[in-house]
Amino acid sequence: MTISEKTFKSSPNSAPSPFFSLIVPGLGQFLQKRRKRGILIFLTTLTLTLLIQWSFGHQAVGKVNPGGVTTSWLWLPLILFWVWNVLDARAFVSKGTASILPGLLLAAIIIYVIAWQVTGVKLNRLVERFNDARTVATKLLNPDVITISVQGQDKICAWQCLSTYLGDRLAGRQPEGLIRLSENFLNLIGRIKLVPASKWQVMLGLAESGAKTNQFVAGTLIETIAMGLMATIFSTIIAIPVSFFAAHNIMSRLPGGTALYYIIRGILNAVRAVDTIIWGIIIITWVGLGSFAGVMALTIHSVAALAKLFSEEIEHIDAGPVEAVTATGANLIQTIGHAVVPQIVPSFLAYSLLRWDINMRMATVVGFVAGGGIGFMVVETVRQGGYQQYGTILWAVAVVIIIVDYISAKWREAILSDQPQREEDPKQLRAGILRWAFYGILGAIAFIYCWNLAEISLRSMLHPGPNFVQNIVDFVSIDLTPTVLQVVVQQMLVTIFQAMLATTLGALLALPFSFLAAKNLTGRSLLSAWLYYLARGVLNILRSIEALLYVVIFVFWVGIGPFAGMLALAVTSFALIGKLFSEAIENIDDGPIEAVTATGANRLQMISYAVLPQIVPPFISYLIYQWDINVRMATIIGFAGGGGIGLTLTTFFGSLQYHKAGTVVAFIVIVVALMDFASAKLRQELV
Amino acid sequence: MLKVENLTKTYPNGTQALKNVSFEVKDGEFLAVIGLSGSGKSTLLRCINRLIEPTSGKIYWDGQDVTALPISEMRKIRRQIGMVFQQFNLVKRSSVLTNVLSGRLGYVNTLSSSMHLFASADRAKALASLEQVGLANKAHVRADSLSGGQQQRVGIARALMQDPKLILADEPVASLDPVLAHSILKYLEQLNKERGITVLCSLHFLDLVHRYATSAIALKDGELVFQGLPKQIDDAQFKAIYGQEAERVSVI
Repeated sequence: MTISEKTFKSSPNSAPSPFFSLIVPGLGQFLQKRRKRGILIFLTTLTLTLLIQWSFGHQAVGKVNPGGVTTSWLWLPLILFWVWNVLDARAFVSKGTASILPGLLLAAIIIYVIAWQVTGVKLNRLVERFNDARTVATKLLNPDVITISVQGQDKICAWQCLSTYLGDRLAGRQPEGLIRLSENFLNLIGRIKLVPASKWQVMLGLAESGAKTNQFVAGTLIETIAMGLMATIFSTIIAIPVSFFAAHNIMSRLPGGTALYYIIRGILNAVRAVDTIIWGIIIITWVGLGSFAGVMALTIHSVAALAKLFSEEIEHIDAGPVEAVTATGANLIQTIGHAVVPQIVPSFLAYSLLRWDINMRMATVVGFVAGGGIGFMVVETVRQGGYQQYGTILWAVAVVIIIVDYISAKWREAILSDQPQREEDPKQLRAGILRWAFYGILGAIAFIYCWNLAEISLRSMLHPGPNFVQNIVDFVSIDLTPTVLQVVVQQMLVTIFQAMLATTLGALLALPFSFLAAKNLTGRSLLSAWLYYLARGVLNILRSIEALLYVVIFVFWVGIGPFAGMLALAVTSFALIGKLFSEAIENIDDGPIEAVTATGANRLQMISYAVLPQIVPPFISYLIYQWDINVRMATIIGFAGGGGIGLTLTTFFGSLQYHKAGTVVAFIVIVVALMDFASAKLRQELV
Repeated sequence: MLKVENLTKTYPNGTQALKNVSFEVKDGEFLAVIGLSGSGKSTLLRCINRLIEPTSGKIYWDGQDVTALPISEMRKIRRQIGMVFQQFNLVKRSSVLTNVLSGRLGYVNTLSSSMHLFASADRAKALASLEQVGLANKAHVRADSLSGGQQQRVGIARALMQDPKLILADEPVASLDPVLAHSILKYLEQLNKERGITVLCSLHFLDLVHRYATSAIALKDGELVFQGLPKQIDDAQFKAIYGQEAERVSVI
């Protein structure tokens, strides 16, 4: 987005343009044919004015009282911004160069001061409650996995106790007490239990009807995995037909298809803008609390996301093979079978796998509102202050998500890499069929098992709660009374600022860290390689845990409110930005480094000329991307005490004010869709 | 004058890229370095300005052994040696002018240059260098918006900023359309003839060697197998350098 003013030539009417800029900011620039800059300056001035006004009225941000007049000191930087805009217009007339930096700096000061205040940042809380936070951190790092019983007394056996125990064992001494897996851990994973025989056991004649048998009863972690898996399968199946209706190259051939295309695309975007968690809270009015509500919420959001990706894939299909197969005299079905399907199947599969990864992450938190799975267990555990138990949950989630992330990434890589089909040797073919049959049967068993575990019950969809229809009508009749609007707009602004601060904080932490996590910098020698693995490990573990799960910890540390939510988002931002930054560093082209070194430049000059120009644009692009993600996440952070619009939404839902909740959701859809659009446009311009 | 004595380079993985290579380049020569891919041409050129550290052997530049110099002194030598690369090695997102100015880094103050501040004399010199390669009107566009041939000319302009006495050109035309090869080599020839800049250039096509070089050396598996005038490379020599399977091809 560099503006090279030098290439412009002053036009004759540019002499009085500083004067125009004095009256209307940006007008002078606009008349100087620097249209984009002019419009940008005008909109920035307008936005800053409104923000200062609003923040002063809302929370008395920047309140000063000089000479009896109560006002905000933030007007001062705004005046300076105005002055800069005039100077910018004048500089262009005389010299032709003007720096954009002072303007950016002034705008940033105003925005960050406001963001700091409305997000309720209270750094003193971080310090004051540091000791309590440390206690909790210690508990989280000493998870409740093993129980030791000493003289009939059960105790949690964390690392220290476990190492003593194992030390005794290895040394041949008789350790004190007996160890076993803790109740908490068994709740998570599952246990063998005496329960009434299931239907299939009776059917196979293994047990009599009504008799009790020993069976494996899955824990919440397994349940969560089942939820994520079911949601992925359902959403893929539903998204495939939907995606054809959302593909422009197909719909434009049908009469009236283009209109239908825009309607379907619009619906998909709206559905996608509403987070899974919010869908959860809506769905429970339909099918009630439980795993099934979670699966439905995951599925709805996934269908919208997958259908969009699938349809884009259909739109980008290569016409060449279609033409070639048609030219051989093949009919429509044959053409689709030989030219269309082979093109889309690998990418569809890859997207589904990617979605599986995302669904698994979301499945760990959807239980917060929908019940079922690990999210529900988190709510219960934290309510009882069981942070050692919570620690177990976090570690278990991290392990599962890292494994899923790894499998999904490797599998996608294998699908998308152009592997030639193996020679079809008849013997191998038979082995192949046998192998596929084996996988098929295994898959079918897993599917049925997960179906039962996730409590999929299509019947409950047909028998919604008694007030369901009334609630939906209420929900759709959006409340637009000024008082409600005021609350919603205010909380929405808080949410956006929360996301912005979290992105900034996360990026500031990630910047130095990403250099450690870049293989080409720290992976070179054995000495520094461990640093690389450590840095990557930290990023991967932090990234595997959803922001909602962090909120719980920060709420304990700094109290309920937007500050806690901001900190939680900062942690996830740190992890994702750190990963993306370090990958950008790894992708640096060595050529320019070599060339600049060869001119006799020293290290600092080499970094300034060969390294920074290569990494700054992608860094900025990732920051915008992260802000976009954070606005989405910030809309749900309030469900766990993180403030912002999520808190407003739960309050409205909790008090059964569905029409007001409808307003909130409508606003979220608009803001998230706008952010999505703006961020995509901006990033396009950067690369 | 450049003198290379018993130059050997063994990479950490055990590959012997150069074995006891010795030769001399007189001032004002256009020396072609030929040989198959992997014969050690790139390693040889990079050992001269020590982008790659030689394992053993000596390199004398104007009578001074550069292999013994500390890196801060080496930077002063590097200023006098321009380099042109096969892949151009421009910073793609930076402007053409910034890329050319980076050729001046060895001469200027670290602090101001790190903030991309240059004296107006240097800017004028950069524009003049671009003028020389016929790209004066492209100074403010991004480097990646240029074609391959234009990017290589920017690479030459960057080397010119150093006021070099020697230019190392590592396969300068191998990534370009063959029809553009002459346009690039003519610029190098012009610098060699008009300014007396010594040129060391690795090349693939024997045609180009005959047309531009005043002398030639050939490498095979890291060993010097030929040293002499370009026209001395006859069919027997050719087979010895490139192997029995090789056939002569020509460019335009």
